[in-house]
Amino acid sequence: MKTLTPEESMHTCVRCGACRGVCPTLNITGREADGPRGRVLMARSVIDGEIPVNQEIKDQLDRCLLCSACVDACPIDVQVPDIVMLAKEQIAAAAETTVFQNSESSIEQPGRLASTVKNFFFDKVLADQKRLNQVGNLLWMYQKSGLQTLTRNIGIMKFFPEQLREMEKITPAVLSPSERKPHPEYTPRANERKESRGRVAFFQGCIMDVMFRETNKNSIKLLSKTGFDVVTPKSQMCCGALHHHSGKKDKTIELAKANIEAFEKAEVDYIITNAGGCGAALAEYSDFFRDDPVWLERAKAFSKKIRDISEIIHEKGDLPKTMGHGERVTYQPSCHLQYVMKVKDAPARLVKRVPEVEYVELPEKKYCCGSAGIYNLLQPDLANDILDKKMENVKKTGSGVLLTANPGCFLQMKLGVHREGMEDVIETKHVVDYLVESIERAEVKAH
Amino acid sequence: MNETIAPAQLDDKVISRLKEIFGDDRVLTNNTDLMTYSYDASFETQLHPKKPQVAAIALSTNEVSECVKLANEYKIPVYPRGAATGQTGGAVSTKGGIMLDLSKMNRILEIDHRNMQAMIEPGVVQNDLNEALKPFGLRFPPDPGSANMCTIGGMVSNNSSGLRAVKYGVTRHYVLGMEVVLPTGEVIVTGGANSKALKSVSGYDLAHLMIGSEGTLGIVTRLRLKLLPLPVSRGIVLCSFARLEDAGEAVNAVFSSGLQPSAIEIMDFNCTKAVNKMKPELNLPEDNEAVLVFEVDGANEEVTSQVNRLKKVVEKYATYVKFSDEPEECEKLWQARKLVGAAVGLLKPGGFRVYGGEDICVPISRLPETLREIHNIAEKYGIICGIYGHVGDGNLHTGPVVNSNNKIEMENVQKMIDDIHELAIKMEGTTTAEHGVGIVRAKYMDVEHGPAMEVMRAIKKTIDPNNILNPGKMALPN
Ligand SMILES: Cc1cc2nc3c(=O)[nH]c(=O)nc-3n(C[C@H](O)[C@H](O)[C@H](O)COP(=O)(O)OP(=O)(O)OC[C@H]3O[C@@H](n4cnc5c(N)ncnc54)[C@H](O)[C@@H]3O)c2cc1C
Ligand code: SF4
Ligand code: SF4
Repeated sequence: MKTLTPEESMHTCVRCGACRGVCPTLNITGREADGPRGRVLMARSVIDGEIPVNQEIKDQLDRCLLCSACVDACPIDVQVPDIVMLAKEQIAAAAETTVFQNSESSIEQPGRLASTVKNFFFDKVLADQKRLNQVGNLLWMYQKSGLQTLTRNIGIMKFFPEQLREMEKITPAVLSPSERKPHPEYTPRANERKESRGRVAFFQGCIMDVMFRETNKNSIKLLSKTGFDVVTPKSQMCCGALHHHSGKKDKTIELAKANIEAFEKAEVDYIITNAGGCGAALAEYSDFFRDDPVWLERAKAFSKKIRDISEIIHEKGDLPKTMGHGERVTYQPSCHLQYVMKVKDAPARLVKRVPEVEYVELPEKKYCCGSAGIYNLLQPDLANDILDKKMENVKKTGSGVLLTANPGCFLQMKLGVHREGMEDVIETKHVVDYLVESIERAEVKAH
Repeated sequence: MNETIAPAQLDDKVISRLKEIFGDDRVLTNNTDLMTYSYDASFETQLHPKKPQVAAIALSTNEVSECVKLANEYKIPVYPRGAATGQTGGAVSTKGGIMLDLSKMNRILEIDHRNMQAMIEPGVVQNDLNEALKPFGLRFPPDPGSANMCTIGGMVSNNSSGLRAVKYGVTRHYVLGMEVVLPTGEVIVTGGANSKALKSVSGYDLAHLMIGSEGTLGIVTRLRLKLLPLPVSRGIVLCSFARLEDAGEAVNAVFSSGLQPSAIEIMDFNCTKAVNKMKPELNLPEDNEAVLVFEVDGANEEVTSQVNRLKKVVEKYATYVKFSDEPEECEKLWQARKLVGAAVGLLKPGGFRVYGGEDICVPISRLPETLREIHNIAEKYGIICGIYGHVGDGNLHTGPVVNSNNKIEMENVQKMIDDIHELAIKMEGTTTAEHGVGIVRAKYMDVEHGPAMEVMRAIKKTIDPNNILNPGKMALPN
């Protein structure tokens, strides 16, 4: 658990600047306000009521990627993203009561429809497995029925901003409802494994399980093949990260409690995630229960068990024979994985163990990729600059495979590759899928 | 909270001229942007931030020169700024004006490894240069604690140094020449416009007049730096002493034995406690008055023999000695020193470590006495304080820790800082060995320098007749 609340933390910043070098936005523009130190001051001035709440300050704080690189670099762990989030919540609250548009202290109203849709999405869809499945079904129908081609052709997408149109093109194919049956509740370690490496539970995630079903299946397979007995609790829920980041406290807590309960019942040594974003959220559950001693203890016990899939396999698993085919591979770390879960090199170390593969370090891998999502829509210019720079570095490695460890990163890298027109040259993959492929390649060869 | 004293001249016309020079995107006039240009890492600017009227982000010498010419024409102050990690308010406005951010001028222009030198722009961060030099087996030695974030332009302007100064000297020793934009906007190159020589005594040494002038005489836009080979390996000896005087004796004995450590660091009992709090596994002895950490470097065999000799010498005085010449173990031992700056804040829950009086320097022989006096001063004001520093050159870092919402403590800490500076002068030392004068030490300058201060003012007047560049710093006119 973090020792200080955001309000306490924001007053401990000594302005040493140790966070300057890792901030992706500061790296692009060089404006102090685009760096962590400037953001702490601006956010804290909002929270302390020292400056007017207006469009200017909202725009400034919206430019933060909330990637946490600065927290990792800060010698005293100033919680920059949490502080920025708190200020943004206060700005959002002020916006709801302000009507005027262009005066000094006003904020542009978000479209009422947009906010209704957003609320529905968070409260009803993400938090409900059944509904999420239905959305999955719809997405699948949309893709399979040719509607996708139709809308592309007749240009409905033209009404969306360019970013959204591009993102639509890289969205992965969703599996059909029949292929999307629940994961087995228990998957024992693979036959050839005599000794168990541990009993673990798999956290499937909400978006991950609909959009990246195959990666989830592969994750269970990989855990089993590396010697783990895997439980996938049916009653698990969305991690709540998106709710938390949108200031939906009650819902976040409700989801957290449901997950804690579901995984307590599973009686496992570790809880495994394959999405840095989810893992980071789960590892910080105890922060929600500061004032609730009973749940605090349960949350702490839960968070202590969270491990990333690469981390657990690297540390405790037994990677079977793998085989590459002479490809050159690079890895763009997930920020939440490297900066919040502090898993810095486990994915790369696993990949380096695959024979007949050339692993090349991605230059400036410390910088967040911009993680496809709302940020691309709200900050198109900055997001483009960040992505362009990232792709420049990817190209420098000359890699044919670009690995990621989080769905947001995966989509963003795919978008980057697409924009460079390099789909034929660079394959974007989740580390898990890559490892399963290289295991299966070795198996085929052995037969 | 933010005070701005506006010179009347900076109006819309000037802003639009600035936009012609830099482009719209790099001229910032928003209130929130200016807020973020109202501080550096000093305690002073935490308490009293000062906003400029406009900030500009420079990318080339030409932009800097045009901007200074414009400022000179309208008599508007210009404040050069690197990464604003300075501890003295040096890169902060004193009366509105233009904040000139140089951190984006950060290209390494040339690494000429055969001639052991590099040409860089001023915004290059120390550590970034050293990373780029590694493949060539070279390095730029000056190593302030802020090496990960400070710009070399800032280092040169403050003549910064770090814990290896005892063997490798300060920034000044590694500047061969530089391109400077003068307060009138002209561009000169010091050290020979075309020279790549490693030594030169040709003419007045203007580079060395500029070094340490804290942006008051010119803006550095290019630097030609001297490089050294990377040492092959290093060794660490960590030892603890019952009394401060024993530590002093040990240092003396090491020097007399002909050893030349690359660093000799001291930590008092409060620092030891703080480091143990942050990294309990280090388990440093807490009942002693001081810990010393020696570092030696060189070729492998050399290091092993130096470590053994050092160990023998200090054993006579120390109560506890640990040593290693294995890279991993060295890194572990070195952590004790590396963490101390950040750990000091842990001396008090929710504590805020104040940078003030943090780099005084006294003769080595008077170190034990000075450390005791500082603790007396801290006690007098009821403030907890950790002291560490570079014993090898008598340079001490004092780190008072306060709760920033405690008014009395905040007032007392200010008084304590004044007393520490007075103490430094009394001990035949100086108020600042590394961080510079800026706004914070200006009040001690006349006492420290006497009539020499007038010569400094005359030099400033000659080079900057309109007082455009970084006015109000170093006890020069505002
Ligand atoms: C945690 C921490 C540890 C530190 N440890 C040390 C240490 O061990 N040793 C040490 O010496 N210092 C130390 N410092 C102080 C500081 O980091 C150094 O003085 C550093 O060199 C300042 O660089 P900067 O780029 O941040 O300069 P800034 O703070 O931006 O500016 C410093 C001064 O230089 C001027 N300036 C900047 N760039 C230029 C330029 N291109 N041309 C002309 N003038 C310019 C500014 O006007 C200002 O007067 C430390 C600071 C912190 C926060
Ligand atoms: S956030 Fe941390 S690293 Fe950044 S300036 Fe503040 S204290 Fe230093
Ligand atoms: S969270 Fe990321 S983008 Fe935001 S200030 Fe920190 S490093 Fe910069």
